[in-house]
Amino acid sequence: MATLNGSAQPRIDTRVRIGSARLKNPLVAASGCYNRGAEFARVVDPAAYGAIVLKSITAQPRLGNAMPRVAPTPAGMLNAIGLQGPGIEYFLTHEAPALASAPTAIIASVAGFSVAEFAAVAARMDGLPNVVAIELDVSCPNVDREGECFAADPDSTAAVVAAVKERVSLPVIAKLTPNVADIKPIALAAQSAGADAVSLINAVRGMAVDVTAARPVLANVSGGLSGPAIRPIAVNAVWEAAKVLRIPIIGMGGIETGRDALEFLMAGATAVAIGTANFRDPLVPLRVLRDIEKEAERRKLSTVAALTGLAHPSFATKTGTR
Amino acid sequence: MPAHQQSLEDATLVSREFIAPGFWHLGLRSPHIAGRAGAAQYVAVDIPGDFAVRLPLGIWTADGDTLSLLFREWGTRTERLARLPVGTTLSLLGPLGNRFTTPTSAKGATIVAGGLGIVPFWLLAKEYQRAGIALEVIVGARSKDLLVGVDTLRELGITIATCTDDGSDGTQGNVIDLLRARPKPDLIYGCGPPAMLRALCSFANERHVPCQISMEETFGCSLGTCWGCVVPVRRGCDQATGYPRAPADSRAYDLARVCIDGTVFQAADVLWQR
Repeated sequence: MATLNGSAQPRIDTRVRIGSARLKNPLVAASGCYNRGAEFARVVDPAAYGAIVLKSITAQPRLGNAMPRVAPTPAGMLNAIGLQGPGIEYFLTHEAPALASAPTAIIASVAGFSVAEFAAVAARMDGLPNVVAIELDVSCPNVDREGECFAADPDSTAAVVAAVKERVSLPVIAKLTPNVADIKPIALAAQSAGADAVSLINAVRGMAVDVTAARPVLANVSGGLSGPAIRPIAVNAVWEAAKVLRIPIIGMGGIETGRDALEFLMAGATAVAIGTANFRDPLVPLRVLRDIEKEAERRKLSTVAALTGLAHPSFATKTGTR
Repeated sequence: MPAHQQSLEDATLVSREFIAPGFWHLGLRSPHIAGRAGAAQYVAVDIPGDFAVRLPLGIWTADGDTLSLLFREWGTRTERLARLPVGTTLSLLGPLGNRFTTPTSAKGATIVAGGLGIVPFWLLAKEYQRAGIALEVIVGARSKDLLVGVDTLRELGITIATCTDDGSDGTQGNVIDLLRARPKPDLIYGCGPPAMLRALCSFANERHVPCQISMEETFGCSLGTCWGCVVPVRRGCDQATGYPRAPADSRAYDLARVCIDGTVFQAADVLWQR
């Protein structure tokens, strides 16, 4: 099992709050990248993460998109998996029981194609062992509104969040898409509807063309771009949302190093998620946490939470609270 | 799920050889991975530079504390890898994926490789030699300059029949033509481009010959978590994922991950129609 020198005894309080959920540290394994951590456990202890977000679960089983589904791109990766998954019934019967022995806190992720579907699936996630929050992948197409993405519209986003809040007691996190002109009204709509936090950002829409075959690389034509290529877009989305929100932000998009994570924290994020970088370096959570702690120490801060918003004028007190 | 023993290891590039236009052979000192590598397993290589995901490459040879990679330049990551100086430290994750299985007693087996599909067969040939089981090898490519690795396999003392589409080496024709012209094999191993593998599976399935193939897809995570490299397989087979059907879903297949459920699949399990 790998460990990094100097990460043995944290002298800094690394805990953060996401609504009523308290995470032992601000690092979250992003949805769709980590399963429950078992695959990574062969080379790193998944308990390095403060929480693991599960792959999104839908009401029905889904086969996902045709192949190819992934394409490496400069400093990034395109994916169009298409929410392949077993559906909520199978998940509850065959996968949820194993959550009792999860290596760290679990955030369940729900995807749906109607408001009712989100609410029904989320309600059944409430109360599962070690599940401390529910993340809503509101970047799906809304079949009740001609396939428009929920997170492209403040009202649709609010409708999903409100319907889920009515059915669950756990904190609810809305994961928003960056594929909008202005993230602020969407983030505000989620907050007004009762969201306990927002995750920023989901993958950025993109595509690649195979010029030898003269056709799109992905069978789905377009996909979601992740990796360092999207980091500046993500940091800006966090910065913009932090201007108007009072709920915590989980920042994500291309984080590979402690310095990358600090960008998000200082721009206003309370926690950060790491996705694609796990594929390149499974030890990434150990490195990132060590470097965040070092930075807090260097600044003579006693908590990691105090790093939040250090670069942002909305956090004028420089103490991590507004 | 097969038992996995994997390492994240800093390997040292100990040799770099240009073997044909576009083809490279790299030697890497990587004791933990080399010592455990099996036929058809691969390593995920962290290429220095602005690359977000590791590059999966099949393990060609593994001997003592050193393994080697035989690959073709086909994108920015392989171009970069081919130009790293000897002495470079590279992070490898491996050995990944399942392996070809060797029967404890067999009359003999036939290996069918297309182009770079020869890669998993050095390790398999060594296993067969250790077990003292007869092995015949057929390697095909479009033309002579795309037949790589054949000499290295021949150095093991193995008889290899080659064929090329243009007749520039061996018999003119493809590997299936060559297979048809021979007595029916007892067991087949295959690796190569999708069209060849598909034809090989038809050949084996029609004749009820057990056949294992090693498949290739673009991988995202190489660890089984991103679901980017799935292949439809017969429902209920060993590698089926076991997801339940949606109401009114009459499909007869499941989706398996090439990176972790494979890369080796039974020809009888792989469904090509999708």
